[in-house]
Amino acid sequence: MSMRDEHIPTVMPTTNRSANIGATLNDDTSRLEAIAKVTGAARFSRDVYLPNSLFVSFIRCPYGAAKLESIDTEAATAVQGVLDVQMSRKRGQYHGQPAGYLVADSPSAMWRGLRALNAQWKPQPVKTGITDEISGPPPVPPSVQSLLDEAENTLDTVYTTQVQTHASAETHGSVVDHHGDTAILYTSTQGTFAARDGMEEAFGIPLSAIEVRCEHVGGGFGSKLRAGKESLIAARVSAKYKRPVYLFVSRAEDHLDTGNRPSSRTYVNIGFNSDGTILGGRMQSYGGVGVGGNGGVHVPSGRYSLGELARDHTPVRFNGGAERPFRAPGAPQGAFVEELMLDEIAAITGVNPLDLRLARTTHDDFREMFTLGAEHIGWSSRAATGSQKGTIRRGFGIGSGSWERYPARAEAEVVINRDGSVEARTGTQDIGTGNRTVMAVVTADRLGIPLRNVSVRLGNSTLPIGPASGGSMTVHNVAPAMMQAADDAKNQLLALLADRLDAASQDLDIVSGEIRRGDETLMTWSQACVKAVGQPIVGRGNRTQGVARYGGAGHSRGVQFVELAVDVETGIVRVKRIVAIQVCGRVMCRKTAENQVMGAVTQGISYALFEDRILDHNLGSMVNPNLDMYKIIGTADIPHIEPIFYTKGQTGPRSLGEPPTIPTAGAIACAVYNAIGVPVRDLPITPDKILAALEGDAA
Amino acid sequence: MNRFAVAQVESPDQAVELMESKRFVSPVYKAGGLDLLDHLKEGLIEPGLLVDIRTLAGCADPIHQAEDGTLRISANATLADIARSPLMHEHAPVIAQAAHSAASPQIRNVATIAGNLLQRPRCWYYRQQQFDCLKKGGHQCFAPDGENKYHAVFGGGPCHMIHPSSLAPALSVCNAHIHVTGSGRESIPITELFHAPDQGLRSEHNLSPVEIITHITFDPVPHSAFCAVHEKQAFDWPLAMAAAALVIESGTIRSARICAGAVAPIPWPLPKVEDALRDLRIDDDGELDKACSLAADRGEPLSQNAYKLKLLPVAIRRAVQRAIARNAEAPQ
Ligand SMILES: Cc1cc2nc3c(=O)[nH]c(=O)nc-3n(C[C@H](O)[C@H](O)[C@H](O)COP(=O)(O)OP(=O)(O)OC[C@H]3O[C@@H](n4cnc5c(N)ncnc54)[C@H](O)[C@@H]3O)c2cc1C
Ligand code: SF4
Repeated sequence: MSMRDEHIPTVMPTTNRSANIGATLNDDTSRLEAIAKVTGAARFSRDVYLPNSLFVSFIRCPYGAAKLESIDTEAATAVQGVLDVQMSRKRGQYHGQPAGYLVADSPSAMWRGLRALNAQWKPQPVKTGITDEISGPPPVPPSVQSLLDEAENTLDTVYTTQVQTHASAETHGSVVDHHGDTAILYTSTQGTFAARDGMEEAFGIPLSAIEVRCEHVGGGFGSKLRAGKESLIAARVSAKYKRPVYLFVSRAEDHLDTGNRPSSRTYVNIGFNSDGTILGGRMQSYGGVGVGGNGGVHVPSGRYSLGELARDHTPVRFNGGAERPFRAPGAPQGAFVEELMLDEIAAITGVNPLDLRLARTTHDDFREMFTLGAEHIGWSSRAATGSQKGTIRRGFGIGSGSWERYPARAEAEVVINRDGSVEARTGTQDIGTGNRTVMAVVTADRLGIPLRNVSVRLGNSTLPIGPASGGSMTVHNVAPAMMQAADDAKNQLLALLADRLDAASQDLDIVSGEIRRGDETLMTWSQACVKAVGQPIVGRGNRTQGVARYGGAGHSRGVQFVELAVDVETGIVRVKRIVAIQVCGRVMCRKTAENQVMGAVTQGISYALFEDRILDHNLGSMVNPNLDMYKIIGTADIPHIEPIFYTKGQTGPRSLGEPPTIPTAGAIACAVYNAIGVPVRDLPITPDKILAALEGDAA
Repeated sequence: MNRFAVAQVESPDQAVELMESKRFVSPVYKAGGLDLLDHLKEGLIEPGLLVDIRTLAGCADPIHQAEDGTLRISANATLADIARSPLMHEHAPVIAQAAHSAASPQIRNVATIAGNLLQRPRCWYYRQQQFDCLKKGGHQCFAPDGENKYHAVFGGGPCHMIHPSSLAPALSVCNAHIHVTGSGRESIPITELFHAPDQGLRSEHNLSPVEIITHITFDPVPHSAFCAVHEKQAFDWPLAMAAAALVIESGTIRSARICAGAVAPIPWPLPKVEDALRDLRIDDDGELDKACSLAADRGEPLSQNAYKLKLLPVAIRRAVQRAIARNAEAPQ
C-alpha cells in the first residue's frame, strides 16, 4: 500500500455554497482577473522588463555571523556588463544580510559578476534560536504559586513554535523607471501608498513625483507593507544611471531576508479543578525574533476565561533574519498554546473539549459557532483521547480566533461614461485577496447595473488613496467608500436624467440595468448614459461617510473543527476535513470570501505540519532556503475545507484576511492529541515528533 | 549561472564525440534537465556545454517487452511514462509504483529514468555554494554535527548523504542491467552502478563522464512492490523507501529481494531481511513483521534522524505485503 492514502480526497476543496448562499451580496462572481492569472497574461511587477534596464543584486552574508575577509570588486567590475559594486558592511549578523550590491546590464552579467567577486567570509560563533539564550522561565511568583497550590490540578509545560517564512508567490522587489523629474515604481507591495513613503531621498525627487504601480501582486502576508531595501537600492541606482532598474530577489533571498513569523516558546503553569474550572496561573513567553522585533504571542486571547493569569513576554534575539508582521501576527502562535492547553486540561479532567470550551467561552457567538461546527464535523463520533488502537487513528480538534476591525483612510471614485461603461477607482492593491472583484461587485450593486459594465482600476498611487492590505483593512474600509462613490455617481446621473425627462430625480431609480419610475421602465442603462452623460460623471466617496451607511461593526470571530488521521507507525498526519465557521460581517462576494478562508486554513495547515526555517546551529545558515526542503503545503495536501459564514445580525463588512488563519494550527494540534493520546507541543508536528511522543520520549 | 552552449545531438556516438572533444570546458549530458538546472542555478557546476541527449531518438516504444519476456526501458522514458505503463504494472509493479510515488506530476512528466538514477545528492549542505563540503572537494562533512534530520542512517561516512533516487532501489530488486555506450563496455548490473562514499566522493556512480545510459533491462518481477513514506503527498522527498520483489510458490516466499532507499548513500540492500523472509508463509503476519523489523539492525543514526530506523521496517513490511497482495495499481 502506498502511504499516499488514496481514500483522502485530494480534489479541490469544497465550498459551502448552500450554507452561505443568500447571506452574501454576490453569490457567483469569480475573480475578475482569474483568466488573466491562469493564462499568465496578468502582469505582476516582477514581470516588468523595461528596455535598457539595469539589473541589481545584493551581495549577502552566507552565514549566521561572519566577517568579510576579502572580496574582489575589481575582478567583478572587470566582467563585461558589470557597472558597479558598492559595499556597505564587512560583517554579517544573519544569513542573507546585505553587505553591498552589484549593478549589471543583464542578469547573466550580474551572475558572472557575483561569481567573480569571490567573497570570502569567515564564520563567527552564532546563536540560532531561543534556547541558545533562555534555559527556562523565571520562578513562578509567590502570588501565582499560592493560586496554583489552591487548584486541584496543575499543568506545567512549554509550547513551542517554529519560524515560518512568508514564501509569497511573487518575491520581493521593484522595477524603477526614473525620468529625472518623475519616476514610476513598479513594485510588489501590500500598500500602494506606503510603498513610496520615505523614498524621496533615494529618488532625489519629491514624493508626489513618484508614481507607484502594482497591477497584480503575488501575495505578501505582511512582509510587503512598506518600501523595502529592494526599492531603495533600485531607486538609488536608477537615479544615478538614469536608466530603468530591475531588482527582484530570488526565492532563497526571499526566505532569508524579507521577514518571517517569529518562533515562540511559551511556558505555562496553570491551575484548574476537576470540573474544568480554570483558576489561572502564569504564562511566560519568548519570541524568537532573529535580529529584531518583538515576536509577541497572543495568549491569553480573551476568548476563554482562564482565571487570573500573570503574563510576561520577552523577545529573544539571535542570528536570523528579522521578523515581520505575518498574517495575524502572534495570533496563531497564541491560539496553538491556548487550544492545546485546553485539550490537555480536558483530558486530565475528563471533560469533553467541546463542553470545556462551551463553558469557558466569553462570547455567545462562539458558543453558537462551536455548536454548529460540532454538528458539521460530526463531533459525536470522536473517540476519547488515547482510546484508539489501530494503525490509522482519527482525531478531532477545535480552534478559535478573533480579529479586530481597524479603521483606515479610504477614498474612492466611480466614473460613468457616455458609452455606459463604469470605472471603479481605488489606489489600493489586490494582493490576491479579491479586492478588485469586490470593488466591481459593490459598484454594480449600488448602481443597479450588471457587473459586466464595471471595470476596476486599482494598484496605482495616482488613484484615490486607501489603506495597505495589512491588518485585514482593505475591504471593510474601501468598500463603504466605493459604495458611497457609486451612490454619488448614480445620484448625479439621475439628476441629469430627471432634467432631460422633466421628472423629479427622487422618482427615478436604476434596477437591473433599467431606468425605472415606479413600475414603469423608461429606458435602458446605455440609453440613459447616452442621453444624460456628456463629460464623464465622477462620483466620490470616502470611508468616513461610507461607513456611516454601509460600515460593519465588531470583531471577526471564527471557529474551526478539524478531522484528521494519524498513521501511528509512520507518524504521518493527513488532514481530512476542516469546517471553518467565520464571522466577517456582510459577505460582499461569496467566492472571494470563501477563497480567503480556504487560503487562510491552507496556510494554517502548512504552519501546523510542514513549514520550518531550519538554521544550521553551528554556522547559522538557513539550510532549506528553497521550496523543496522548506516544506510548504501543496495542492495534494489540501483537504476538504468547508467555509461557513456566520452572518447572524450583521450588516457591513468586517475583517476577513487574517482571522481564519488563527484557529487552524491549534485545532490540528488538538486533533493529533486526540488521535494518538499524547500531546505534541512543538510545531510543526512532523513524523519524527509524533513517533517520539508515542514512544514517550520528550515531544 | 555561467554561460554555456547547448548541443542537440542525433546519435550517442555524436554525443560521446562532443564530450571527448575538449572544445568545451567540462561538458555534461542533459536529459530532462531537472537536476542539472538546479546545479547550474546554484553555481555548483559550470559546464561549457550541455549535450542534450533528450533529443536522441530512442526506439518508438520507450517501454517494451522482448519475445523472451525481458523488459526494456529506454533511458529517456519519463517517470510519467513508466508510472502509467500497463506493461510495468503487470510485470514489474515495483517500478511503476516507484515512478508514481516520486516528486510531483509536473516533475514526473519531465524526469527521465536515466537522469533519475544519476541525480546528485539533495543534502542541503551540498546544494548550497557556501558549504565547501567533502563532496565538493572540501575538508569537512557538515551533517554529523549539523542539521541531519534527512541524512543517512546506514553506510554513512565520510559523507552522510542519502541517495535520492526512488527508481534505484526498485531497479535493484529487479536485478536490472544498465546498458551503456561510450566506453567499450555494454552493460553493468545495477548493483554495481553505485559506490559508497568511501570509494569516492566526487561522484555517486561508476560511469565515466562520457558514458551514456541507453536503456535498462530486467526480467519480470510480478510479485513486487514499492512503498515510500512521505510527509507531504506530492512534491516531497521520501523519508524512507522500500522496494520488495518476491518469488512466491504455493503460499510461501521462496526468495526475496529487498532494497531500501533514502536511508544510505547508495540503494541499501537488506540481505538479512531477505534471508529471514525466505520460506515464510505469506499469511504469517507475525513472522513477516519480525523479518522486516531486522531492517533497522546495525543502523547508525546521526543526532536527528533515528526516527528513520522506526520508519524503515514499516515501509518494508508494507512493500512486502503489497507485493504479496500484488494489487498493482490501475494504470493512470
Ligand atoms: C521537489 C522534488 C521532489 C522530488 N522527489 C523525488 C522522489 O521522490 N524520488 C526521486 O527519485 N526523485 C525525486 N525528485 C528528483 C527528480 O526525479 C530528478 O531530478 C529527475 O529524475 C532527474 O531526471 P532528469 O531527466 O531531469 O535528469 P537531468 O537533470 O537531465 O540529469 C541528471 C544527471 O544525470 C545525467 N544523465 C541524464 N541522462 C543520462 C544518460 N542517459 N546517460 C548518462 N548520464 C545521464 C546528467 O548528466 C546529470 O548529471 C524530486 C525532485 C524535486 C524537485
Ligand atoms: S553529507 Fe555528503 S554531501 Fe552532505 S555535507 Fe556531508 S559530505 Fe557534503
